[in-house]
Amino acid sequence: MSAVELNDVVKRYGALEVVHSVNLNVATGEFIVLVGPSGCGKSTTLRMIAGLEEISDGTISIGGRVVNRMAPKDRDVAMVFQNYALYPHLNVAENIAFGLRVRREKNEVVEAAVNEAATILDLTPYLKRKPADLSGGQRQRVAMGRAIVRKPKVFLFDEPLSNLDAKLRTQMRAEIKRLHKRMGVTSIYVTHDQVEAMTLADRIVVMNAGRVEQVGSPMELFLNPANAFVASFLGSPPMNLLRATVTSLNGEPAARIDGVHTDAIELKLPVSFVASLEADQRILVGVRPEHFSIGPEAGAQGQPIAATVDLVEPLGSEALLHSRIAGQPIVAKLETPADVRKLSEIGELKIPTDRLHVFDAASGKAVSGHA
Amino acid sequence: MASFNLYSRGDRIFGYANAALIGLFVISTLYPFIYLLAVSISSGAAVTSGQVVLFPKDLTLAAYEFVLSDRLFWIAYGNTFIYTFGGTAISLAIMIPGAYALSRPRLRGRKFLNLMVAFTLWFNAGMIPFFLNMRDLGLLDSRFGLIIGFACNAFNVILLRNFFEGVPKSFEEAAKMDGASEFQLLWKVFIPLSKPAIITVGLFCIVSRWNSYFWAMVLLRGEEKIPLQLYLKRIIVDLTANDEFASSLLTNRYSFETVTAAIMIASIIPVLLIYPSIQKYFNKGITLGGVKE
Repeated sequence: MSAVELNDVVKRYGALEVVHSVNLNVATGEFIVLVGPSGCGKSTTLRMIAGLEEISDGTISIGGRVVNRMAPKDRDVAMVFQNYALYPHLNVAENIAFGLRVRREKNEVVEAAVNEAATILDLTPYLKRKPADLSGGQRQRVAMGRAIVRKPKVFLFDEPLSNLDAKLRTQMRAEIKRLHKRMGVTSIYVTHDQVEAMTLADRIVVMNAGRVEQVGSPMELFLNPANAFVASFLGSPPMNLLRATVTSLNGEPAARIDGVHTDAIELKLPVSFVASLEADQRILVGVRPEHFSIGPEAGAQGQPIAATVDLVEPLGSEALLHSRIAGQPIVAKLETPADVRKLSEIGELKIPTDRLHVFDAASGKAVSGHA
Repeated sequence: MASFNLYSRGDRIFGYANAALIGLFVISTLYPFIYLLAVSISSGAAVTSGQVVLFPKDLTLAAYEFVLSDRLFWIAYGNTFIYTFGGTAISLAIMIPGAYALSRPRLRGRKFLNLMVAFTLWFNAGMIPFFLNMRDLGLLDSRFGLIIGFACNAFNVILLRNFFEGVPKSFEEAAKMDGASEFQLLWKVFIPLSKPAIITVGLFCIVSRWNSYFWAMVLLRGEEKIPLQLYLKRIIVDLTANDEFASSLLTNRYSFETVTAAIMIASIIPVLLIYPSIQKYFNKGITLGGVKE
């Protein structure tokens, strides 16, 4: 098993630079998730690690060896592709065995490895079937079988669950996590789904426009996003960001939330932000949807603010409230009351000021509330 | 309950017109075969007097007996098998790696090479330079010359190249990650995935070689090397002027027409037998299920 190191890795297509100086250290046995929107460079970074894309600048090391000019087969990494890439003319056993066969392993070794992988992945009854005769989840398991059978130093996953339906995705997510626990192989996983990132990762790397925005454990990133992009990317639904200007309210720091076709609204900010903010500074006030409340149980911290409800989406025990604060759209996640229709009659929402996030509007960087 | 028709009147008329046209096409394609078969098993007298139109008359296998007892027929048949199957195998062995190389994006000068291959589709040197070329290479009157001289066909190479280019890139990448060499990639991934295209091209080769006549006539001298089509030509041209054959018509139940029909039927049979067994590959469905598009 081996660590992966990316030092100032750059990818250019002609004059166009798509990955800008990425630095990343993946510890042995760690499960790292690269997450970001489409086109952010996460798959390109993964493909550079795999050797399927050339590196324009910087170095990539696997197990302490620089692999920049090494062919994919010599890097001892295995990859699970988004579209499975199973050979349709081979059955499940032959697909799993492919990597060992081309390396001319002995028959007994191949058979033992295939049977072991099939047992781990619950594929034994399907070994003689062709990929066309398998369900999406089974195909994905075969693709994983093909990867694990070689016992590589590093597993690379390129959005492996994005072609599955929601239920199967949840199931497969758990299987991948179990597999990683069992095998303990260093894994780098690419996804645009922040739920996958949060649930699978030891550490998440959030990427945007070819740059690494933040690296950290899922909860670290969720609780202390380094910038507005990370804040708005993680969480489901994502954090609400309200455009505002720093002002003061009775001598305490406050934010005047910009009114869109309506009046601005004043919102108190925690005193701890005083040292980090300047008067008239343009900011983004971040509120997690689940931090809004409506009832008296919100406690003294909740500051009531006028809100108009556009739409209610009941999800069962919770409901999403699409509303507007000072004309700016927000989503609140609330417990569903006995009569869900009551939610559409709400005139105000409570915001817990101690759980607010503040970002500089120009740079997007988080403003520290602990000066 | 009120009944309704899923198809409008226009749709139905279109359907009938289609069926009629296809029926006409089927008849016009099938009739020559049926006619040839009927002629080949009819008596020479019945054919000469124009009594055979659709069904055989005075059933006899005399024409087949005449043809099958001719030593040269079997030599020509054997030669055609060599030219067809040996030639097709060599053609595929040359065209597949060539097309694969031309399909690789990182091949240096790929655009130029592809252009040069396509160029030969529109322009070629012509018959006399080709003949001189074959003569200078010492390939006249040689079985190998007839095979290798026509081993590579630009149209087929382009067809294969296009199919290889259509193979999803992830198959190639997965194989590379698995450690496959370039040859293993071609042999274990591209060729099995391209079976429909390879079989189609193989069938093109088989049919064209089976029917090849002109270049065999130009390049070959001795009758020990002639293919079936040249043998047929010999029957048609030579036997009409052969007094012995003409006099034998008086004592036998075959005629010039029934003999040529029998040879044609005998020469069609192998192609007819091959086609149904490979027809299933004439669709691209084999890649289904391998990748999720």
